This record gives sequence, structure tokens and C-alpha cells, in this order.
Amino acid sequence: MISLYVILLPVLMALLAILARGSAPLVRGLAFLGGIGTFALALFLAGSEGFNAAWLPGIGVNFALDATGAGPVLVLVAALVMIPTLLVAASRVEKGAAGFVALLLLAQAGLNGIFLSKDLIVFYIFWEATLIPGLLLLGIYGGDRRRQATLKYLVYAVAGSFLMLISILALKALSGAASFHITELMIATPALSAATQTWLFVGMAVGMMVKLPLWPLHSWLIDLNEQNHPSGAADVLGSLYKVGAFGFFAWALPLLPAGAERVAPYLLALAAVTAVYGALAAISQDHLKRFLAYGSLSHMGIIGVGLFGLHLAGLSGAIYFLAAQMLSTGGLFLVAGMLYHRRRSFSVKDYGGLAKSAPAFAAVSLFLIFAYIGVPGLSNFPGEFMALLGAFQTSPWPAAFATLAVIAAGVYGVNLFQRLFQGTTTVPTTDLSPLELYVLVPFVAGVLWLGISPAPQLRQIEQQASLVTLQLERVVEAQPGVPAVTLAELPGGER
Amino acid sequence: MNDLVQLASLAPLLALAGAIINGLFGRSLRGNAPGVIASLAVAAGFVLSLIAFLGVRAGGAVRVRFGDFLVAGDLNIGLGFHFDQLSVLMMLIITGVGLLIHIYSIGYMQGDDGFSRYFAQLNLFVAAMLVLVMADSFPLMFVGWEGVGVCSFLLIGFWYKDLKNASAGRKAFIVNRVGDFGFLLAMFLTFKAFGTLDIQAVNAAAPSFAYGAAILTGIGLLYLLAAAGKSAQLPLHTWLPDAMAGPTPVSALIHAATMVTAGVYLIARTGGIFANAPSAAATVVWVAVLTALMAAIVAIGQTDIKKILAWSTISQVGFMVAAVGAGAYWAGIFHVLTHAFFKALLFLGAGSVIHALGGEQDVRKMGGLGRKMRVTGTTSLIATLAIAGVPFLSGYFSKDAILGALLTSSPLGNYGGQILFALLMVTAGITAFYMFRWYYLVFAGEPRSSAEYERAHESPAVMTVPLGILAVGSVLIGYVGLPAFLAPNAIQEWLAPVMAHVDFDHLNTSAEWMLLLGSVLVAAVGLGLGYWVYVIGSGELAKRIGNTPLANASRGAFGIDRLYRGLFTEPGEGLAEGVASLDRDVVDRGLTGVSGAVPLLGRLLVLLQSGYVRAYAFAMVLGVLALAVVAALIGVLA
Amino acid sequence: MVQTEYYVALSAILFALGGIGVLTRRSAIMLFLSIELMLNAANLAIIAYARQWSAVGAQHALDGQAAAFIVLAIAAAEVAVGLGILVAIFRNRVSTDVDELSEVRL
Repeated sequence: MISLYVILLPVLMALLAILARGSAPLVRGLAFLGGIGTFALALFLAGSEGFNAAWLPGIGVNFALDATGAGPVLVLVAALVMIPTLLVAASRVEKGAAGFVALLLLAQAGLNGIFLSKDLIVFYIFWEATLIPGLLLLGIYGGDRRRQATLKYLVYAVAGSFLMLISILALKALSGAASFHITELMIATPALSAATQTWLFVGMAVGMMVKLPLWPLHSWLIDLNEQNHPSGAADVLGSLYKVGAFGFFAWALPLLPAGAERVAPYLLALAAVTAVYGALAAISQDHLKRFLAYGSLSHMGIIGVGLFGLHLAGLSGAIYFLAAQMLSTGGLFLVAGMLYHRRRSFSVKDYGGLAKSAPAFAAVSLFLIFAYIGVPGLSNFPGEFMALLGAFQTSPWPAAFATLAVIAAGVYGVNLFQRLFQGTTTVPTTDLSPLELYVLVPFVAGVLWLGISPAPQLRQIEQQASLVTLQLERVVEAQPGVPAVTLAELPGGER
Repeated sequence: MNDLVQLASLAPLLALAGAIINGLFGRSLRGNAPGVIASLAVAAGFVLSLIAFLGVRAGGAVRVRFGDFLVAGDLNIGLGFHFDQLSVLMMLIITGVGLLIHIYSIGYMQGDDGFSRYFAQLNLFVAAMLVLVMADSFPLMFVGWEGVGVCSFLLIGFWYKDLKNASAGRKAFIVNRVGDFGFLLAMFLTFKAFGTLDIQAVNAAAPSFAYGAAILTGIGLLYLLAAAGKSAQLPLHTWLPDAMAGPTPVSALIHAATMVTAGVYLIARTGGIFANAPSAAATVVWVAVLTALMAAIVAIGQTDIKKILAWSTISQVGFMVAAVGAGAYWAGIFHVLTHAFFKALLFLGAGSVIHALGGEQDVRKMGGLGRKMRVTGTTSLIATLAIAGVPFLSGYFSKDAILGALLTSSPLGNYGGQILFALLMVTAGITAFYMFRWYYLVFAGEPRSSAEYERAHESPAVMTVPLGILAVGSVLIGYVGLPAFLAPNAIQEWLAPVMAHVDFDHLNTSAEWMLLLGSVLVAAVGLGLGYWVYVIGSGELAKRIGNTPLANASRGAFGIDRLYRGLFTEPGEGLAEGVASLDRDVVDRGLTGVSGAVPLLGRLLVLLQSGYVRAYAFAMVLGVLALAVVAALIGVLA
Repeated sequence: MVQTEYYVALSAILFALGGIGVLTRRSAIMLFLSIELMLNAANLAIIAYARQWSAVGAQHALDGQAAAFIVLAIAAAEVAVGLGILVAIFRNRVSTDVDELSEVRL
């Protein structure tokens, strides 16, 4: 039941926040409670029993959630990241803070739904639904060009999802599965011919490619991050909502392995390009948020490389990296917001030499920047390493090319730190305020936690990753019409 | 016994604790407390290393595993340490020399604003370096590897208010990252070939591959790239001279004694692979020897007291890498040991001079300082003689071991071992020459700037005592590695269990004596030449040839920095700009253009909405007609 | 008895004439006339078939006659409303030329 509560609690707190919109302290308290409450639930999530209720039995849709595999890990890290983000939203948004907080909480509920749902239609509904708070946050609280950015975001996302929906519906129809539940689908889909699987996979892939994002469908992300509210809170949500990789991992790859095998090499090439492209573009950016957008584009490219190498280590690493980047990217967006709070500018040229007057700020920022560029011992390294390692085992040259992004990351990371914090002070600036310190501490703690002790989370993720590799192995052996996977072999198979 | 050795696992944790205490609370501590805390942490680490050393001496190698790190199917990398003869020796060097440098730093950094920050970062460095040498798997070693890179960045750019210093740190980090790229690819390839990333397992399995197998050669070359980055060998050496921007004790610890030797350690550790991939090993030696020669030539033309030593370090590390490449792993590590003492001593001596002169680093303004700074001068002389290879001092024995290895290495023989030997001999001679020049210009002769001379004074005890200890070490430590044909070679025997096997030709006794005497001769020639040019000739010869192409190349470090700027930095920046504008103008607009088709379609369709009733009526008629036709057809078909 | 086909043919001709009238006439009144013509042509066809079915003795005959009544009623209602709208428009502008009534668009 915890899987259900972890979705319902944020919704409830969102409603309360709207009701309490007259009183700022109350909104802050509700935001904090919502964040802490969801986090507390998430701590007990892994291994708890799932939730299953018939919803639209006529077309085979059950409201099915379960807490096995990679989902709980992502929910937990997202919940950790949300606590400081909600605090920032409640404190640093000048007008309409209650609405902002409510939208963040609703988005969190949607995210938890994406990560935990085991029914394909429910997954799709949460996938689309979580778009709405993101759009509203951009459209209502964004910068000067928010209308164009919102429209761009909307068109990209919906166009992709439309194809995804067609594939989803066709998937059930053509395979003759009993319902949209993943176990039923996994039993039925091996019956599809390789050609059919390829088409269905391409359909789903387009929708997920937009959300990953993969070059060249990534432009919405740059404008989204640039135009979002300057506090950075909505951008943190943006980092959490990069669920394309999860969609591939949990649905497209295990359900359509024959199609995946054929299409993955092209996607792998695109991912490798994305990794290097994003890193290169980041180097020359002057706008702080665009910089972070391109940097995280590069990270997502590496995640893509890990996924499409179709190797167990790569798959696990990719999803671990997905969780880890929530911390590093989210943290840096909030840091950018704190810089804006002081100087009202995102241009790197307007800063310089801040380490003298704000040493704690400089230290924490450097820590997060090092995490961001994948320094071992910090959050991004295990996932990045395993993703590239896994992809290298099956496709050495694309993986080696993608590893070049590591060099570029070193360049943009220290370049940024230097331009912001080192050199002589231009104008003195205040060091971290208590609020900012409380906001950044969870990120530092999370970065250390994920960097030093990845094994427990990796094991959880492996439960689901091994499903993908199992399906891929079976592609060779399976004959059409014969179910390749029996119910008993699937995690949670004994319903 | 095993438990005692395993206790040494605490060493990096203690250093880390010291870093955290100084980092978080250092500003509120009074006086020298941060320095004392940091030194205590390293001292504890030294004690633990000593215990581990004795334990391994008694009972052999010990492994300990603290849990899992990276797991996925076949991949199972744990947080584990491996204490064997090689790692405990490195640990002793790191903590021992590190302790002396920490104590020295208390004096050197006295009064600096970032006193506690300095010690926090120095402790962090020691922790990372220890992890590097203690790790039992490549990924964990990589944690330490990048960790020392991070600390190097922080410490080089320590006085960050001057952007030049910060830029030097940045350069170091980025060039290191190129090496890290090599390390990553080497790990990926290792896993592909061996199915494991456990160091002992890889070394054990290496012989099962075909001798000279392509995949082993590939892995070896990639590890060479990694080592070149960290140990400042061609082509990734450019960061080390710039790294002199950091405080001098940092240069002593990181860029002389420990971090730059990480590459040597890496190649020694992966000896199993190199022993079975002779072409990779030969490449290592060629790169190393060329680096050593080039750096020695450049060192002659430098005028900054620290830059001379920096290029000297590049050259000496070249010696070490050449040794491990040739298969004489013990010789390379032996030189690491001796070099740690005399190079650290040289740097700390330079630091003492800089500290006394209030920041002056140009040797052209020094001279005769030995008279006013007796301890510094004497210890620096000892170090100079040691590095020049004067017999009975430590450098002599380690250099001789390396030269002998190059001459007798069996696999290297196919790749020009004799030529390499000759080149390295020449380099040894040049080393003696430029070190004489260094010592003479700073400490001897007549003062060239009376203002500086007046200002000079001996440094406080907290700085001179470590100098003395290092000097003693520079003299005595060589005796652990006496030539095998004369006396028991303690270090070779100590490291034998962990070294991969490589064939060496056996020299008869007279050849061995020739080698020994040859080394003496070379050192004598170098020192003599220096004496002739600078003492007898008062540097006239140097001035006269000062504008020859070789001299200019020496001064300008063969223009490699400029070459890289034109070859990599500027095109790289251009590429970055290009990608950014490509994204903004082409990809973005391109897809927006595609989406522009939608309004276009809309505008086309709007034409239908003319408002004319008759047009609507016509449309309706057409529709009905179409339906009727379809119905008729279906009717026909049905 | 006159064969059904002739009635249907007549109905078709009337429908076509009405259609042409709708498409070519510019006066609103003539538009209504043409629409009435089309409706009654359809009615004719319905009645013709109703008679055919009743001759055979099927039950559909009554349905056809009921349908004709409904069509008549609807035609009447539609004309009433339409003429009402037309008068309202005529009050605002003097002409009843449909080409000038082109506000119903995007």
C-alpha cells in the first residue's frame, strides 16, 4: 500500500497548499511536511507489497503499482531531492508560491506513479499527466520567452507521446495479451514477429527519445531550463522528469527485445553523439542555466549509451546514473538560483572571485560541480562508469567515443568553477544563508551516499535490469506463439 | 597478525578525518592547530603503514574487503584493500615523506589566510593517494587516482585570487582528465578481456593470453596513456611546470614524491599485462626515455628555481617509467623511493629560499645564499649530489639499477634497448649538469642581487629539521638497493613476490663493474662540465650559446605548449562554440521549422473557411457524392 | 401502376435541380426554394418506395409514410426558422445576397 500512499500524499499536500495559499508560513510548513512525508514513505517503499485494483476491466487496465526493481530507488532519490526544492519554492517564489509548491507536489506524485506503475496504460497516464505541472510551472512562472518555451515543450512531448500511445495500444492488440499488466504483456509479446516488434519499438522509442532526451530531439530542454523560474526549483523538477530512460528500461526494452536488438545500435550512436555534443556545447555557454541544460544533456547521452549497449552492467549503471544526476543537476540548479538571488543575473561574466567572500558557498558548489562531472567517490561516478563499461562490452567504439565526454566534462566543470569563484572579487557577495545551507545539505549528503555506497541500490536495480537481459537472451531461443517467459520467472509474478 | 595489517585500512580514514575537521572547523582553530592536527593524522597513518609493513614482512600479503561497491551480474567490485610488499612500501613513502612535508608546511604557510584550508586539502590528498596504492581493484584505484587529481587542482590553484594560479590548476586537471580517459578505456577493455577488474586476478590471468596478444597490447597502451597523464610524461607533461604555481610544499609532496609516481605504480601493478605485451612495454620505455631526455634539455634553460626542479621531476619520472617499462619493476620503485627523498628535499630547500627571500623565484637574482642559509644550502647540496648520481648516495644506486635494466632487458632488446640505454646515460649526464647549475646559481658563487642577499636568512627549525631528516635519507636510503652482484639487494628481494617475471640477460662481473663505473663517469662529466662552465668560466659559455636553436628550444620547452594551444585548445574552444551555435541556429530552428509546417497547414485549411455559404454547400454536395460512390462500390463488392 | 423506377428518376431529377439551385442561386429566398425542392424530392422517393413495399404486403410501407410526414414537418420548421433569420438579417442590411453573408468563418 505504501506505493499508493507515496502517490496520494503529495496530491493531498498539494491540495492543502492551495487551500492555505493565503498564509506563507503555512505553505512553507506544508511544503516541508509534504517533502519529508513522501521521503519517509519512500524509505519504507522497497520491498513493500504492491497495490492492484481493477480499473477498466473491459480493456484490461488495472491500477497496478509495485515496489520491486528500480522504481523505489528512483522514488527515494526524487523524494530526497524534493525536500529542499519544495523549501526553495515556498521561500523564494515571490508571487503564487502556494501554486508553485502545489504543482511541484503534483508532479512528484506523477513521477512516483511513473516509477511504480506496472500497468502500461497507467504508466502512460502518469507519463502524460506529469507533463502538465511542468508546463504550468514554465508557462506561469517562467521568464520572458516562456510562451515559446512552453509551446515548444508541449509540441515535442505530445508529438512523441502520440506515437507512443499508438504503439502501446497496438502492442496489446497485436500480441493478444490478456491485459496491460507488464507480466501479461511479457508473456504475450514474444509471439510478435521481429518486424512487428521493431515497428512497435520505434513508435515507443520516439516518445521516449524526446523525454530522454536524445539528440536531435533535445531542444525543448534547453529553452525549458533557460526560461524556468530563476529560483531553479522548476528546473530541479525538470531533472527529475527525464523519464525517457526509465521508459526504455522498464517497458520498451523488456517488452520488445527483438525490436530493441535491431534498433538499439542506432539509438546507441545517437546517445553517444548526444553525450559528446552536450558536453561540447556546455563548454562555451555563458548563461548558467543553459550550461546546466547542456551538461545534463551530456549526462543523459551517457545514460542512453548505457541503456542501448544492452549489457547488464550498462543497464544498471544507466538507471543508477539517472537517480544520481537528480542530485547533482538539481543541486546545481538551486545553486544557480542562489547566485541569481544575489546578482539577478545568470550570465557567468557577471560573477567572479566569489570564493573570497563566500567560501562555504564556493566549497559546496565545487563539491556539486565535481559530483556533476563524475569524480569518483561522488554520486555520478558509479552509474557513469558502469554505463560506459557495459556499453563497451558490446559496442566498444561508440562507448569509447562517448567516454570522450568525460574529458569535456572536466573542461566545462573546472572552467565554470573558475569563472564563477576564482580570481579577484568583483563585488563582494554574501555567503550561504541558513536556509540555503539547509537546502544544500541534503544534496551533499545524497551525493556522498550514492557515491560511496552504491551496491544496495544497484542490487535493487539489477532485479529489473536482469529482466531485460533475460528477454534479450530469449529472443534467440523463442519461437513465435510460444510464451518465452513463464509467470513464475517474473519478479512479482505470483500475483 | 592479519588483523594488525588490516588495521592499516584506517590510514586513509584518519587522513580523511583530518581533512574534514580542518575543512569544517579549521577557521575557528587557533594558531598552528590545523597543521598539528593534519600532521598527527599523517603520523598515525605512518605508524599504521609501519605496522602493515612489519606484518607483511612476517606473513605475506593480506587482503581485506569492506563490502560491495559496484555490482551487476558478473561485475563484482568491492571496497577492498590489498596489502602486499609493493603497496606497503608506497604507503610508507606517502606517509613518511608526507609527514615531514606536513611539519615543514606549518612553518612555510605560517600566517597565510588559507592555513586550515591548505591542511584540509593536503590531508585529503594523502587519503586519496593511500586509497590509490591500497586498492585491490582498478575502479577503486581510479577513485584514488581521480581523487589525487582533484586535490592537485585545489592545491595548485591554492592562491586562487591570482587567476594565473587558478588557471594552472585548471590545466593540470584537464590534462589529467585526458589520462583518466585512457584509464577508463583501459578498464573497459580489461573487463572485456579478463571478465574481472580485480588487480590480482588480472595479473594472474595475463600469462594465459598469447604472448604479445593485441588485446594485451591495447590495454597496456591505454594504461600508458593514463600513466602519462598522471606522471607528466610525453605528451601529457605540460601541466607539471605550470603546477609550480602552488605552494612549494605542495610541489614537494604531490609533484615530486607521490602523485607523479602514481603512473609508475600503475605500470608496476599491471606488470603482468606488460610482461606479456612486449610492444606495449617497449612503447612505455621509448616514451619515458624521450621524455627524460627532452625534460633534461629543457631544465638547462630555465630560470625559475622551481621550474628547473619541475622539469627535473619530469625527467626523473621518465627514468622510473623507463625502468618499469623495461620490466625491472623493482628498479622503478627503488627510484621512486630515492627520488622521493632527494626531490622533496630539493623542493623544500627551494621553498626555504623562496620563503627567506619573500617570494623571489628567479635564480638570476640569487647567488651565494649558501653562506647565509647554512642548513638549507648543505642539505640542498646533498640532494644535488644525490640526484646527479654521485657514488654512495642514494640516487647513484637507483639510477644504476635503471640503466642496468635497460641494457639487459631481454624483451627490450628487440626494440632498441641499447639505444635507449645510451640515451638515458646521456640524460644522466645532463641531469648532473643542470643540477650543478641549479645549486651553483642559487647557493654558491657571488650574489647577483645584493638586496636579495641581504634579505636571506635561515628558515625556522620547523622547516630545517625536515630538511635534515630528508638529507639523511637521501644519503642512506640507497643502501636498500645495492647492486645484486656485490651485496644483497634488499629492495629487489622484498618486491620479488609481487613482480611479474621478465627475462633479463645476465651480465658478467666485469660488465657490471663497467656499468657502475660508467655511471660514475657520466656523473663526473656532468658535474665537471657544470663546474667548468659556471665556476671557471663564470657562465660566459652559457651566455654565448644562449641564443642557439637548442638553447631557445630549451628555454621555451620545445614550444610544446604553443603547439598544444594551436592543436587542441583553440580548435577545442572553436569546436565548443561551433556546437553551441549549431544547436542554437540549426538544430533548434530546423525542428522549429518542421513544426512551422503545422501553422502552414493550418493556414491552408483556413482557406476552406471562406464564409461563403455556397462554398459550404458545394462541399456538402461533394461529400455526399463521395459517400454515395463509396456506398455503391461497397455494395458492389459485397 | 406506374413503376417505382420512374418516381425515383423524377425524384433524382428534382433533387438535382434543387441542388443546382442551391449552388448557383444568390438570393436567399431562392436558396430556400431550392432546399424545399430537394426535401420534397427526397419525400417523393420515400413515398414511391413506401407504395412499392405496401404493394408487396410488407410492413415497411407504414414506416415510409411516417418518414414522409416527419420530413414534411422538419421542412416546415426549418423554413420557419430560416425565414425568421433571413428577415432579421434583411433588417440590418437591405440585400439578401448570400455572397455578402460571409461572417461565419475563422
